Amino acid sequence: MPIFSFLAYPETRMKTQLIKDLSSMQYCEVKPSDNQDVLILLTDTPDEQTNKDLINTIKELDSLQSLSMIFGHTDS
Amino acid sequence: MTITRRNFIRSMALNSAAIAAATMFPGISFASWKPIDLPAGSIQWSKTPCRFCGTGCGLLVGVSGEKAVAVKGDPNCSVNKGLCCVKGYHSVQILYGKDRFKTAYVRKNGKMVPTPIKEALDLVAKQMKASIDEKGKDAVSIYGSGQWSIPDGYAASKFFKGCIGTNNVEANARLCMASAVTGCLTTFGLDEPMGCYEDIDNADVFITWGNNMAEMHPVLFSRMLANRKSKTDVKIIDLTTRSTRSSLAADKSIIFNPQSDLAIANAICHEIIKNNWVNQDFVTKHVSFHKGKTNIGYGTEDHFKFKDKQENVDFEAFKTFLADYTPEIAEKISGVSAEDIKYLAALYGDPEKKVTSFWTMGMNQHTRGTWINNLVYNIHLLTGKISSPGNSPFSLTGQPSACGTVREVGTLTHKLPHGVVMKEGARKMAAKIWGVPASNIDPKPTYHTVEMFRALDRGDINFMWIQVTNPMVTMPNLRRYRDGAKKDGRFIVVSEIYPTPTSDVADVILPSALWVEREGFFGNSERRTQHNDQLVPKPGEAMCNTWQLIEVARRMGFEKQFPWSQETYIEDIWNEYTKFHDTPKHRMAPYKVLKARSGVQWPYVDGKETRWRYNGKYDPACKDDTFDFYGKPDHRAWIWLRPYEPAAESPDREYPFWLNTGRVLEHWHTGSMTRRIPILHKAVPESYVEINPEDAKDMGLVNDSKVKISSRRGSLVMKASINGRGNPPKGMVFVPFFDESYLINEVTLDAFCPISKQPDYKKCAVKLEKV
Amino acid sequence: MGNPDYKPDHKPGLKPKPKQKLKIGKLFLLFVLFAVIALPLVIFKAFSVNPADAIAKVNTAPVLDFDHNAGQLFRTYNGTTPSYMEGSSTSRTLDYYYSLRQYPGSPPFVPHDLVVEKGVEQTCLSCHEKGGFTQSMNRFTPVTPHPQHTYCGQCHMKTVTQTLFKDTDWVSVQPPRLGRSELGGSPPPIAHPIQMRENCIACHVGPGTVVPIRVEHPMRGNCRQCHVPEETKILFTRNPK
Repeated sequence: MPIFSFLAYPETRMKTQLIKDLSSMQYCEVKPSDNQDVLILLTDTPDEQTNKDLINTIKELDSLQSLSMIFGHTDS
Repeated sequence: MTITRRNFIRSMALNSAAIAAATMFPGISFASWKPIDLPAGSIQWSKTPCRFCGTGCGLLVGVSGEKAVAVKGDPNCSVNKGLCCVKGYHSVQILYGKDRFKTAYVRKNGKMVPTPIKEALDLVAKQMKASIDEKGKDAVSIYGSGQWSIPDGYAASKFFKGCIGTNNVEANARLCMASAVTGCLTTFGLDEPMGCYEDIDNADVFITWGNNMAEMHPVLFSRMLANRKSKTDVKIIDLTTRSTRSSLAADKSIIFNPQSDLAIANAICHEIIKNNWVNQDFVTKHVSFHKGKTNIGYGTEDHFKFKDKQENVDFEAFKTFLADYTPEIAEKISGVSAEDIKYLAALYGDPEKKVTSFWTMGMNQHTRGTWINNLVYNIHLLTGKISSPGNSPFSLTGQPSACGTVREVGTLTHKLPHGVVMKEGARKMAAKIWGVPASNIDPKPTYHTVEMFRALDRGDINFMWIQVTNPMVTMPNLRRYRDGAKKDGRFIVVSEIYPTPTSDVADVILPSALWVEREGFFGNSERRTQHNDQLVPKPGEAMCNTWQLIEVARRMGFEKQFPWSQETYIEDIWNEYTKFHDTPKHRMAPYKVLKARSGVQWPYVDGKETRWRYNGKYDPACKDDTFDFYGKPDHRAWIWLRPYEPAAESPDREYPFWLNTGRVLEHWHTGSMTRRIPILHKAVPESYVEINPEDAKDMGLVNDSKVKISSRRGSLVMKASINGRGNPPKGMVFVPFFDESYLINEVTLDAFCPISKQPDYKKCAVKLEKV
Repeated sequence: MGNPDYKPDHKPGLKPKPKQKLKIGKLFLLFVLFAVIALPLVIFKAFSVNPADAIAKVNTAPVLDFDHNAGQLFRTYNGTTPSYMEGSSTSRTLDYYYSLRQYPGSPPFVPHDLVVEKGVEQTCLSCHEKGGFTQSMNRFTPVTPHPQHTYCGQCHMKTVTQTLFKDTDWVSVQPPRLGRSELGGSPPPIAHPIQMRENCIACHVGPGTVVPIRVEHPMRGNCRQCHVPEETKILFTRNPK
């Protein structure tokens, strides 16, 4: 089960929107910082394909400026 | 993938991200989420009294799964109203030190061997029987604690006094509160303060006599600060032998020579009479005058005996007596200017000002502790400032249940739960409630604490059971008593939670349940009893102290007196114990009420707490609605004519410094619990000796310089602390006693107040040498 | 002197005292009286001056200056109004706070113009001792935790240029992170050394504070009762003798 964590940077002034967008997505858990414009994103998907699709969907979000991966674990 | 492994990887993922974020954004905060994986399930909050000082704050302990994970102040507890101090906030961490005792240990061939607890209990009973058979019932003894819960002390008293029939029952409260007890008994006939903490919210003037409330009773100190801030013209006066954090907060700090508090108190009375500030009406109706023996000694010899003799006198005799204590004479003795003494007298004497006096160890750990307690009561009695909101001579307790257990249950050599062993009526009452023949209870007290350890050293006692205290760090003149305990033929049983210098000398170590691992009761300074349920499981074979006593008592043949089951024994004990106090002067709240509420004061009469005793407006035990000091046969409070007498050992040419000992905020007593709390240990990791900056300069010392402190009894090398939180005056040094690597009590002197038998830890003579 | 109402104040036949000398005599008497009253006062004042204190004030640098200034906190607590304690302006951020410092704990430089009026520099303490709102800069002033040191310019300077003389390799430590409570909700330890920073209210309370370290419970009074310093990172181990 791929488990990944990222630092997600929102577009300018779109932090709240990004939190909302990511929280509503399946397999995602969001930990926003309260004094910086950055969030921690945890993804926990059942298989590699779902994970790939999820990441691509996230990258399409308007509210997201960039996503940097910090930690990745797959079961292979 | 199992669920726990998945959780582990998830938490690793989250924590890595948190660390990366922190690296890139200094000061980043995720305040709404703590990167710690809490076990599944929500937190359950339950009330308990705090494990530490005599303030007796109410806490809410948060339990998640089976672990205590967090602490909040209990907003329903009137003592602290939701606030704690740093020790209280981290108190749950005392349960989880790595070297916790989880099984019993028995000494075999010099080594401590882990042993199942049942076997260890068998051995304890066997040794007790052997000691009694060989040398009689007074060969066995128990040394308990003001940190005993009430059922612990009750079981010990019933077992040793009622069943075995020995008065060798003592507790470490002898070393902390005995002078307060004898002060109350000689002045009022009944023990414990007559006021309550509400006095703090009502007073206009606070005078602290030799205590450091900012560090030792911090939550009460905060209440004083809040009072001062909320009103104009509230004053806090710090009367002290050493400058502390409390001194820095006070409006005025007055430094006096050690022991001269006796002269100052008398001088204040002198001024009050001279300026006609006496409340004549009160004194005529409610006070009588008495004097006792003088030149009463210091107790440093074995078998020291003292019995006071009282003599009725009158107000005129009191005035004549005080002629020797003018402010000018007191100035010579104390180093406090006559002007300052008159200032204090004016504060006490002002009829518009409500005055609360606080004291703890400065007045109690004193070779004339009973006398100085009497003298501060004298000031309040002369002015009638007593037993009403804000007017309060208030003796603060050090330990969480020195009042609740030692004083109220009576775990001292001469006491019973009601009355004293010397009185037949009290013996008969105890025998009836305990279900033992009245002839079992010995009418003669045996040893107070210091004398009991001397008896152990001499061999008159060869079995001692030590529970919830650390005498091998805290006995004054320690070397003698530690060597005494280690002699051949002595059998020492220690009920403990962590390895300490006391468990190091034990023949049997019994693992004890700690605080919220067992149901129990504590009683704090303001007569408030607080109950806690068991909130977390006991580790390993740990057993509640009460149950340890019951198990051994049963093995000694006393099943009839200890019939209770493990499910209900605490409630059963409470119901039996409260029978002793069933009068309006001392009635205790029933079990159900204590279980439900965050603390209930006694006397608890008809569903109401008596907040101010001896005042008919608040106390139903009074005969009318004015003052009635019903503890004394003449229904009056007694003013005692007590003189100034010098300390047992004052500085001289060879040993030119006073040695003063005490505590710091972060550490509790000998540190066996608080040093295992990371944040507290990290704040104060090591003990030190406070030296006055000028003295330090004369000796070429700077901070952390090594200094050898020597007295006629022992010596120690310690690091100097200069200009820290406490600043002794020239000619005095101060050492906190929480660090078992620096046994400062090897240097102190076992002189005590002949009336209370409480040792003086604040005054002996030492010399300093730079190392 | 020709005054018809003049009554001679002497017996006829005696020589009158010269008026001039009388005046001087009176003046002299007055001066002596004045001196007699003033001199004890002067002497008394002189004896009540502690030379060590006086010298210390001049040096403004106590030799050993840590953890014995708790009095500052208590005095400030008494002297601060509840409305100030509740101040919640949000203009100062942690970022900005650290941007004024070379490393955590270094004296911040002065981020605003120093007005020199009539050749006299404005005293810093007029704004920075008690805080408050300053119109000219349209924000709340931060409060110094060490107003007893009055020669501010000894440590705090204004930057007049952003360009460096030569590039540097300087790096420092991370500032202490927030949220360091041991247990959920327990009081965090003091994240910084307390030397010269014993007055908690100065930086943690009021409208001029840095927002993430602002304290919600300043009315409690004795901060050190719950918040303790961290003198070491090493945990306790037993060393039985």
